[in-house]
Amino acid sequence: MSRLGVVLIAGLVAGIVLADALFIVREDKQVIITQFGEPIGGPITEPGLKIKLPFFQKLHVFEKRFLEWQGDAEELTTRDKKYIYVDVYARWRIAEPLLFFQRLTNETNAQSRLDDILDGETRNAIARHDLLEVVRSTNREPVLDENAPTDVFKPIEGGRDRIRQQILEAAKTTAAGLGIEILDVQFRRINYSDPETQNAVFQRMISERKRIADRFRSEGQGEAARILGEMDRELKRIQSEAYRQAEEIRGRADAEATQIYASVYDRSADSRVFYEFLQTMATFESTIDDGTTLVLSTDGEFYRFLEGSGR
Amino acid sequence: MSEPSGGGPRSPLDFPDFSKLRNFRFPGRKDGPGGKGGGGGDVSARKIGIALLVLVVVGLLFGSIYQIEADEVGIILRLGRYRGPAHDAGPGLHFKLPIIDQLEKLPVERQLKQEFGFRSETVGIRSSFADVSEEATMLTGDENVVIVEWVVQYRIVDAYRYLFKVRNIDETFRDLSHAVMRQVVGDRTVDEVVTVGRVDIENAAQQELQALCDQYETGIRVEKVLLQSNNPPDPVKPSFNDVNQAEQDRSKLINEAQANYNRVVPRAEGEALQTIQQAEGYALDRVNRSRGDAARFDALFAEYRKAPEVTRKRIYLETMGKVLPQVGRKVVVDRSVEGLVPMFDFSGRAATGGAASTQTPPGGAP
Repeated sequence: MSRLGVVLIAGLVAGIVLADALFIVREDKQVIITQFGEPIGGPITEPGLKIKLPFFQKLHVFEKRFLEWQGDAEELTTRDKKYIYVDVYARWRIAEPLLFFQRLTNETNAQSRLDDILDGETRNAIARHDLLEVVRSTNREPVLDENAPTDVFKPIEGGRDRIRQQILEAAKTTAAGLGIEILDVQFRRINYSDPETQNAVFQRMISERKRIADRFRSEGQGEAARILGEMDRELKRIQSEAYRQAEEIRGRADAEATQIYASVYDRSADSRVFYEFLQTMATFESTIDDGTTLVLSTDGEFYRFLEGSGR
Repeated sequence: MSEPSGGGPRSPLDFPDFSKLRNFRFPGRKDGPGGKGGGGGDVSARKIGIALLVLVVVGLLFGSIYQIEADEVGIILRLGRYRGPAHDAGPGLHFKLPIIDQLEKLPVERQLKQEFGFRSETVGIRSSFADVSEEATMLTGDENVVIVEWVVQYRIVDAYRYLFKVRNIDETFRDLSHAVMRQVVGDRTVDEVVTVGRVDIENAAQQELQALCDQYETGIRVEKVLLQSNNPPDPVKPSFNDVNQAEQDRSKLINEAQANYNRVVPRAEGEALQTIQQAEGYALDRVNRSRGDAARFDALFAEYRKAPEVTRKRIYLETMGKVLPQVGRKVVVDRSVEGLVPMFDFSGRAATGGAASTQTPPGGAP
């Protein structure tokens, strides 16, 4: 019993000592060992099972991965006096753990230092540029469809990427002194902050749309008028052409008929007299009706015999 | 998609405690068989020791067997070190060394999805935006405001990078997606965003996002960026709709005019043909009649020439015979009566004048 107790206690003590001396460095971590607050040796960045002096030496574990930094959505003013919310984030990593440990001790301090650095640089960069420079990245030609207003894109100088680079470069230098490497700065969000500006933008959008809508309607009316005009023209053309052709045909026929009549009626003096006589007779038939009062002299051809026989 | 983010931050905190705990129990286990070999000691202590030993062994065994689902891969960290893709565990049942090996599961075969600007489900997605619509509001290159909602579909292709290169990878991925979409939209007009440029935006966003994912060593492959609905902000919406309405109005006006045209012009063309055909008919009629008249005259004239006097008289008398019965009033005047005409009142009857004047010539001519 007492032997077992001794072994148990010895094992316990050995376990505690070992547990403090042995440590595992994970794939995504790096470690600094301090002895009474003073860093001993370089940072351990290789993963695996490691050993240190128990109790006297202390472990400080840091991330090896890329870490996030979220900026507060800040209300900033651009060079052209537009009020915008700018929401920035950055990725960074602890590049020199020793320096990082000495300057900042832990991540919380690092975050607050990054706040100072990046917020400041962002403010500077935004204030030096027009809104368009922050929003746009390239001078690409927009694809215009028929409703797009034509004068939409003003040329930009450098654009969003250049501003990001400026912030990054400026922040990088400062951060390097803290053992921090900033990988990247991105604008996560840029929006109008001021309701008045926003409202003005909405009004502009509305009037722009109205302009397009008006143009559509006017185009429709114009096109309709053109079609109706074309219709009128076509009508006139068709009708007049038909009239012309019809009259030509009639004229030709009249001419032919006249020629035929003349060829027989105008053959000799006799035929002319005979024609005149026949035509007169025909006229009698067609003009005299029951409304006619005929005064006939017994002198005439017809009643000549009447007079004669009466005597 | 919440699994990897849940697994990531937990392990670094847990692990030291975990190993200490196991180490603590380690001597106890070694101790058991040692105590037994030495003999002696009381029975109850031995029993407790054996029971403890069995418990620990069974516990370790259960902790050592793990299952990988069909769409997952198991990543093993041996003493904190990743041993390379060759040691990754595929689907099925696997064994790992207790204490020494640490397991992470990742759904590499599954297509993962994140939504921006809207939520079809609220499970497990953290957003740093209080309001989802805030997330979707962005500025276009012509300084207009649009609401863009989109979905990113992606897969984890490099489990090592996904786990060990970026902390809070889901949040990072969301941030990247936001930045990229705003960059792409910021380079386009409101019209491109709302109508014509949707496919272009999807492609550009996918490329940019993939480039950033590579730069950040996320191990993510962006499979597709899908725009959901791109809308103008609510106050502006009616005027956008009005543009659509106007576009339809335009078509309507044009169609109506075209319909009018189509209703009128073909009919006029037909009517024109009718007019021409009527003229043709007139022409045929005129020419045929004249031919007929001429033939008749010809024949008559031939006979007339043989006996002109008699023929003329005959025709005259026949005509009179036909005409006189129709005359309303007939007045026969003897040659000796003079000054009769002024007694008639001609004012009421127009036809009588003509008739009266034609009275003499036919008779008088021959």
